[in-house]
Amino acid sequence: MTSNNQDWLDKNTFHHGEFWDILKLVEEKEKKGLSISLCIPTLNEEKTIGKEVLILRSELMERYPLVDEFAVIDSGSSDKTLEVASNFGADVYLSSDILQEVGDKRGKGENLWKAIHQLKGDIICYVDADISNIHPRFVYGLVAPLIRRDEVSYVKAFYDRPLNYSSGLRSSGGGRVTEILIRPLFSLFYPELTNIVQPLSGEYAARREVLETIPFPIGYGVETSHLLDLYEKFGIETFAQTDLDRRVHRNQTTNALGKMSFGILQTFFNRLHAQGKIDQIPSLETFYRRFEVEDGAYSQIVQEVIEEERPPMMEIEGYQNRKAGK
Amino acid sequence: MTIESTTKDLNLENLLKEIPFLIENLREARETYLTDAVLLGEIPAPTFGEEERIRLAIDRFRENGLDDPEIDEFGNASGILPGTVGSSSILVMAHADSVFNAETRHVLNVGSDFMTGPGIADNAIGMAAVVGLPKLLNQLGIKLKDDLLLLINTKSLGRANLEGARGFLETKQRPIRAGICVEGAEQGRLSYSGLGALRGEITLILPGNYDWNSFGASGAITHLTRLVNQVMEIPVPKEPKTKMTFGEIHSGSSFNTSPKSGMLRFEITSEGDEVINEMEKQVLEICEQFSLETGTKVELEVVARRANCGIPFSHPLVKSTRRIMNETGIIPKVDPSTGDLNVIIRAGHPGVTLGLTTAENLREQNETIHLEPLYSGMAQLITLLQAIDQGICE
Ligand SMILES: Nc1nc2c(ncn2[C@@H]2O[C@H](COP(=O)(O)OP(=O)(O)O)[C@@H](O)[C@H]2O)c(=O)[nH]1
Ligand SMILES: [Mg+2]
Repeated sequence: MTSNNQDWLDKNTFHHGEFWDILKLVEEKEKKGLSISLCIPTLNEEKTIGKEVLILRSELMERYPLVDEFAVIDSGSSDKTLEVASNFGADVYLSSDILQEVGDKRGKGENLWKAIHQLKGDIICYVDADISNIHPRFVYGLVAPLIRRDEVSYVKAFYDRPLNYSSGLRSSGGGRVTEILIRPLFSLFYPELTNIVQPLSGEYAARREVLETIPFPIGYGVETSHLLDLYEKFGIETFAQTDLDRRVHRNQTTNALGKMSFGILQTFFNRLHAQGKIDQIPSLETFYRRFEVEDGAYSQIVQEVIEEERPPMMEIEGYQNRKAGK
Repeated sequence: MTIESTTKDLNLENLLKEIPFLIENLREARETYLTDAVLLGEIPAPTFGEEERIRLAIDRFRENGLDDPEIDEFGNASGILPGTVGSSSILVMAHADSVFNAETRHVLNVGSDFMTGPGIADNAIGMAAVVGLPKLLNQLGIKLKDDLLLLINTKSLGRANLEGARGFLETKQRPIRAGICVEGAEQGRLSYSGLGALRGEITLILPGNYDWNSFGASGAITHLTRLVNQVMEIPVPKEPKTKMTFGEIHSGSSFNTSPKSGMLRFEITSEGDEVINEMEKQVLEICEQFSLETGTKVELEVVARRANCGIPFSHPLVKSTRRIMNETGIIPKVDPSTGDLNVIIRAGHPGVTLGLTTAENLREQNETIHLEPLYSGMAQLITLLQAIDQGICE
C-alpha cells in the first residue's frame, strides 16, 4: 500500500512548471484530436470575473489555441458578473436556461453538471471564479496531464495555501475542511485517496467520457462525490494532480465551513452505503444546527442543507439527443 | 515653404486620416496589452527591486515577437524589432519600478471599463504598451523602416535618479532618431523638456556627547522642525517658475522618547538653473549655521541634480505630437518632465513623454485607469511612432 502510494505520487503528481511550453501542448492536443472547453461557474463574482476572462482568453485562446471554448455559466447573479464576462469575450449562459426540461436547482454542482450538456469539448476544465491571482497555469496545468496521459481522466489542482500571512505559517495540505473532515474520513475508508492533496479544490479538468457517467450532487458534495465515484469505477490510476503554486481567494467563515461539511457528510455517507462499505445508514437529517449567542442568550440557528443529486448526464434524454446530433 | 516640408505635411495628414480606424483596431486588440498590464503589474517592483518584473518583461517581449530581448548590467529589459531599412532606431521606453513596496498586495481588478490596483497607471499599463508593440504593429500591418528599440527600464523613481535609463543610453551606442517615454497617466500630458531639479536629503544627528542640559537642548524632532522653518524662509521666485516641496520626514519611534536623529527629503524644481544653485547654497548655509548654533550634526546630501534641458516648442517632433493629439481627441497640456525623458534629451536625442489614459487615485492602493480613453492614447503612441519613422518629426 505505502509503496503503491509513493508510486502513484511519483507518477501522477505534477508541477505546472513542467507544462510551460503551451505551444507544444497545443500541438499534442491537436495530434490527438482533442478539444477543450473551459467553464467558469459563477455566482456574484463581478470583482474577479473580468480578470479571469481577460487573461485566460487572451493567453489560451488568442495567443495559443489551447482552449476551444470559453464559457461562463451563471447560477443567477444579481451583480454585473455576466455583463463583465461577455464584455471580455466569454460565452455566457444562465444555468437555468440549460436543459430547461429537467428544471433548475440551486447550487454550484448543478451549474457544473449543466455545463456537461452545454459545452462541446472532449475535456472540460472547471475553474472557480474567485481567484484573485489568476494565471494561465490554472488551466494548462490541469489539462496537460490529460493531453499527455491517456489513462488519466481526472486532474485536480493543489496549492501552496497561504493560511496566515502575518505569522508566516504555511500548511502543507488543504483547507480547514480538508484537514479536519475529508482527510480523516479518507484515512478511515479510502486510504489511497489521501494522496490527493486538495480533494476540495474547485479547479479540475476531466474527460467528458467520465464526467457524463457520474451523478452530481448539486451543492457542496460535488467535488467529494467525483473522487469517490471515479475511484470506485477506475481506481487511483485515473487521477492525477498538479501543483499550481499559490492561489489567493476569499476566506470562508467557520460557520460557512460547518454548513459545507454538513453537506459533504451527507454525500459521503450515501456513498459509503452505496459502495457497501457500511451496512446501513438511518435516514439522514437535512437540518444543519448551530448556536448563536447574543447578550448572553443562546439561540439555535437551523438551516436546511439538502444534498440533492443529479443523475449521470448520460441518462438524460436531452443530452443523448444532443450527442446523437438530433 | 519648401517642397520638402509640404511633403511632410502631406504625410502627416495621411497618418492623421487613419486615426479613427486605428482607435477601433486598438480597441479590438486590447486583450494583448490589458493582459500584459495585469501580469506585469501583479509582480511587485519597488525601485531597486525590479528583477522579477523585468524577467517577465523579457518573456513577454519574446512572446510578443522579439527575437532576443536581453537584460543589461543595469537590470533593464530591452529588445529590437528590426525595421525594413534599419539605418537608425526609435526608442520607446517605460519604467518598470513603482512606488509600492514588495509587501503591498499587488492584485489588480478588471472591470468592463476600468482597471484598478497599485501601480496600474504608474506604470503597468505603460509597460504593457511597450512590450506589446511588436505584436500590435504586426496585427495592424504596420512595418517601420527604422529599428524599434524597446526598453523597460529600472531604477527610475525616487532616489534612483533615472539610473536605469541613464546606464542604458550610455552603453547603447546606436543612432537614435528620437525617444518616446510612455507613462500610464495622465492622458494629454506633453513633455518635451526636462525640468531642472535638485533632490536633497538633510540628516540631523545628536552627537553621542550631546549636552541635554544646555540651554535650548531638545530632541531631533524639535530641531528638525526649526530647521524646516528656516529652510521655508528661503524666497521662492515666481519667475523663472520655481517650486520647493518637502516630501518626506522621518524621526522617532514612540510617544515618549526624544529621538536622536531625523531626516528630511525635499525637492526644488525650477525652470532656471541658477535659481536652483542659489537655493541650494542657501539650504547649505542654513544647515551649517544650524549645526553650529545647536551642537547637532546636520548634513545635506544632494541625491539628484538635473539641469533644465529640452527641445523647443516649435520643434517638429513637438508640433507633430500636438497635431496627433488634437486629431485623436486628446487636449495637450505642456508639462515639463522630471522623469526618464531627461536622460533621452541629455543624451542629445529629441524626445517626448506621453500619457496613455486618464487615471484616479494615483499612487494609492486603488489606483484606477479608464479603458475608454486608453484606445485613443494607444493610437496617439502608434501614430507618433509612424510619424517619426517617416521623418516627419525632424
Ligand atoms: N456557493 C455557490 N457558488 C457557486 C454557485 N454557482 C456557481 N458558483 C461558483 O462556484 C465557485 C466556488 O464557490 P465558493 O462558494 O467560493 O466555494 P469555495 O471556493 O469552495 O469556497 C465560485 O466561482 C462561485 O461563483 C452556487 O450556486 N453557489
Ligand atoms: Mg472559492
